[in-house]
Amino acid sequence: MLQIEIDNLNKHYGGFHALKNIDIAIRNGSFVALVGPSGCGKSTLLRTLAGLEKTSSGDIRIAGTSVIAKPPRERDVAMVFQSYALYPHMDVEHNMNYSMRLKRRPRPEIAARTRAAAETLGLGGLLDRLPKALSGGQRQRVAMGRAIVRNPKVFLFDEPLSNLDAALRVHMRSEIRKLHERLEATSVYVTHDQVEAMTMADHIVVMRLGVVEQQGSPLDLYDKPANKFVAGFIGSPAMNFIPVVVGPDGQSLVIEQDLAQPLVLNRKLNPGSRLWAGLRPEHLSFAPVKGDLALNADVESVESTGSMTFVTAGVASQQLVVAHSGRPGVERGAVIRLHISLENIHLFDRETELAVSG
Amino acid sequence: MQGIIRTIRDGSGFDILLLLLALVYLVAFSAFPIIYNIIMSLQTVDMFTIASFDRPFVGLKNYYDILSQPLASTIFWNTVKFVVLSIVFQLSIGFGLALFFQQDFPGATWLRGLFLAGWIMPALVVGAIWKWLLAGDFGVINYILMSSGVTDERIFWLSDPDVALYAVIIANVWLGIPFNMLLLSVGLAGIPRDVYEAAELDGAGAFERFRSITLPLMRAQLGAVISLGVIFTLQQFDLIAALTQGGPANSSNVAQYWSWQLSFQTYEISLGSAVSVMMILFVIVVAAVYVRSTHHEHSY
Amino acid sequence: MKRTILLIIGLTITAIYLFPLYWMYLTAFKASTEIFQYPPSFWPSDPQWNFLEVWKARDMGRYIWNSLLIAVGVTTLVTLLGTGCAYVLARVRNIWMDMALFAILMMQVLPSSLMVTPIFVAFNQLGLLASPRFAVILAQTAKMLPLYIVLCRATFVQLPRELEDAALVDGSSRIGAFFNIMLPLAKNGILVTSVLIFLQSFGEYVYARSLIAKNELQTASVGLQSFMGPNANDWNGIMIYAAIYVTPILVIFMLLQRRIVSGLTAGALK
Ligand SMILES: Nc1ncnc2c1ncn2[C@@H]1O[C@H](COP(=O)(O)OP(=O)(O)O)[C@@H](O)[C@H]1O
Ligand SMILES: [Mg+2]
Repeated sequence: MLQIEIDNLNKHYGGFHALKNIDIAIRNGSFVALVGPSGCGKSTLLRTLAGLEKTSSGDIRIAGTSVIAKPPRERDVAMVFQSYALYPHMDVEHNMNYSMRLKRRPRPEIAARTRAAAETLGLGGLLDRLPKALSGGQRQRVAMGRAIVRNPKVFLFDEPLSNLDAALRVHMRSEIRKLHERLEATSVYVTHDQVEAMTMADHIVVMRLGVVEQQGSPLDLYDKPANKFVAGFIGSPAMNFIPVVVGPDGQSLVIEQDLAQPLVLNRKLNPGSRLWAGLRPEHLSFAPVKGDLALNADVESVESTGSMTFVTAGVASQQLVVAHSGRPGVERGAVIRLHISLENIHLFDRETELAVSG
Repeated sequence: MQGIIRTIRDGSGFDILLLLLALVYLVAFSAFPIIYNIIMSLQTVDMFTIASFDRPFVGLKNYYDILSQPLASTIFWNTVKFVVLSIVFQLSIGFGLALFFQQDFPGATWLRGLFLAGWIMPALVVGAIWKWLLAGDFGVINYILMSSGVTDERIFWLSDPDVALYAVIIANVWLGIPFNMLLLSVGLAGIPRDVYEAAELDGAGAFERFRSITLPLMRAQLGAVISLGVIFTLQQFDLIAALTQGGPANSSNVAQYWSWQLSFQTYEISLGSAVSVMMILFVIVVAAVYVRSTHHEHSY
Repeated sequence: MKRTILLIIGLTITAIYLFPLYWMYLTAFKASTEIFQYPPSFWPSDPQWNFLEVWKARDMGRYIWNSLLIAVGVTTLVTLLGTGCAYVLARVRNIWMDMALFAILMMQVLPSSLMVTPIFVAFNQLGLLASPRFAVILAQTAKMLPLYIVLCRATFVQLPRELEDAALVDGSSRIGAFFNIMLPLAKNGILVTSVLIFLQSFGEYVYARSLIAKNELQTASVGLQSFMGPNANDWNGIMIYAAIYVTPILVIFMLLQRRIVSGLTAGALK
């Protein structure tokens, strides 16, 4: 069953077209991540879902009913803000149960549900503290608690972890994911961090400049990016792109400014067409692989984190980043061969930037 | 009806309602009087027609009458002197004080706060105090000036037509110093310390730093303070009422006081309106410049 | 060492600036013969306490009561009318709001002495001068409202927008979010600005002088003015009157000085 349906949604700020023809369908119980660079409209989309922004055209349905004309309080959604937006003049308990008090739930119920939510999040001893007396992580939990006590149809998260330090962030990712599963809720999670999206979501929507560039499961986006933008955005370190031209045979790729090393593919391409070849750092290796192509490269720099080594290699005037798990034993200035298997080469049209299959 | 309640409860109707509350009031009690003022300045309004809704229309005659009075040029120049001298001294003293209190010494902020006492006091009370300070025979200012040898004779500050205007200006400068100092302090505090340190490393002396860093960076602020100074000086009425009431022989009379005298003392209300219309126009132009200059500040 | 010298200079400058205030209090405590001494004394040789006499003789209670009535009326009306407007101007950003803010800034600068002519004639025609203190409240409210809106708006601008959003998502109506979240958080700013409006209206002169005809309805400022008269020489009494009038103002101001200053500078420059 579909919990949220967004149909052809548009949003203008004066003359600025912030959301362009957005179509998204979200299944009941799924965890959807909205990713994209800063300023692409993620927050705007989330806020239109919550009813905090008016839309210009299009429809939004939650659990089958159109909510486009409804104010936030009639939409039954809960939202966790990046800044947490805790009410500074209310203690933790009152922050968490404000929504129930507004609905005039019976007192025992309010108390019980607040306590339960506080238990779940480990906030038991903090109920009478003001937000200013809490640490960043605790505030984040209170913001979560405020959302979960309501038991809403939909949870909305707007970069909820970006104000936490790295270790806590990783920990909270799995907490949020566990909570989502326990509550059997539908969650929409905004982040600019694709790693967060990949690790948490069942469904990822990649946005750029107000447009949905691609949506699908995390591995779909990784394996079959629809265009150069998505290919570059998903995956870390980012995919390498080198400009190539299809040779007259329609099968070989000639690297611009390095005519000496044609790459021969078993695909049918338009001779002469100008493409980007996309190579993921983790797919480049120093040893031969099955059905591979190989390039000569100079090692320009070697950086190691201990478990991983990142080698920057120059091919013609291009730089390729190679991610190698372990220590490859190459040194700066060395000339090496880089191998990649055929199926791991992504091709994109240089004009449209769309993926080319052939 | 349902729709209206709904938009007030949940939509932008709430914003509009709150906005209208204040705007309607201001239109009724600020904007409408200005328009009514313009209308009256084109009519004959005096003791006999004041209550009438059907007053004779005389075109620009009131403006002609008022501007052709010999008094008009006296008042005009008095007003110019009042505004220009007040601002020059308020600004330079205020700036000097702001620079001084910018320095790091114990109690600087607290002492600076004490200056604001002059600003919060009712101007009429300030006028009363200055009237006593400046009194001819027993005023302490004359005593100080004479005993320190600045003058040999008593200055009759408030009754000598040659100095009455300056007496009012002195009191007005006293009133205006705190506000100038406060706003300029805010501006000075906004200049990052490391800019000065960089200039010092480059070999700029104290005066050179003031000339090449402080002044240029304070340009917008100074513009705002000067415009505000003009506006506040043209608002000044109470001080004149307390000190000289425009006298003797209009030697310390200025436009805003004159307008009031015409309306409320000689009941030539339409003439008072004409003066008022001209002054309001001027104030609004200055205010528009001020608002623009603060916008400038935003952009950098 | 340098800081001590600076402190001494600072104290001296402040003392010079505040000398008029000192002179007011000094004169108030001097005997009525001592004030006409020449050379004047800078410390009362025989301190007097004539405050009660002047209070009674000048009927100050009535004047102060009228001033209080007007100041309370203006502050109440301004707060009721202006708070919502300040909130909306801080919250909504579009061309209409910029225009409204500009108009309000323009109305802030209109001098009372110039506005009083049309206000007097119009109020006269509307019969409002029959209740002159109310007429002064109406006129002074129009004068103070823009200032209040500008200063209060600065307070609301500082409140994160997301707090209100959170309340709306939590199930609050716009009205509820305004009263339960935004107002409590802007409370301090509103309070300080209201005090400022109160103090300014407590010292108001032009409208009271022009719109109130009956002496028993007059305010303390007009009472002081009539005390001074053209040939005043009871400076002892006048300074006692002035001291009684401004001391509460100065005390309130000094208590709230820090907050008033920060509110003022935030509002004036944004
Ligand atoms: N209230 C607003 N008025 C005008 N433009 C806005 C407003 N809110 C957001 N925008 C613009 O819309 C775009 C998308 O913003 P947002 O949704 O906040 O991006 P993000 O993806 O970083 O969350 C940005 O270019 C932003 O400048
Ligand atoms: Mg965002």
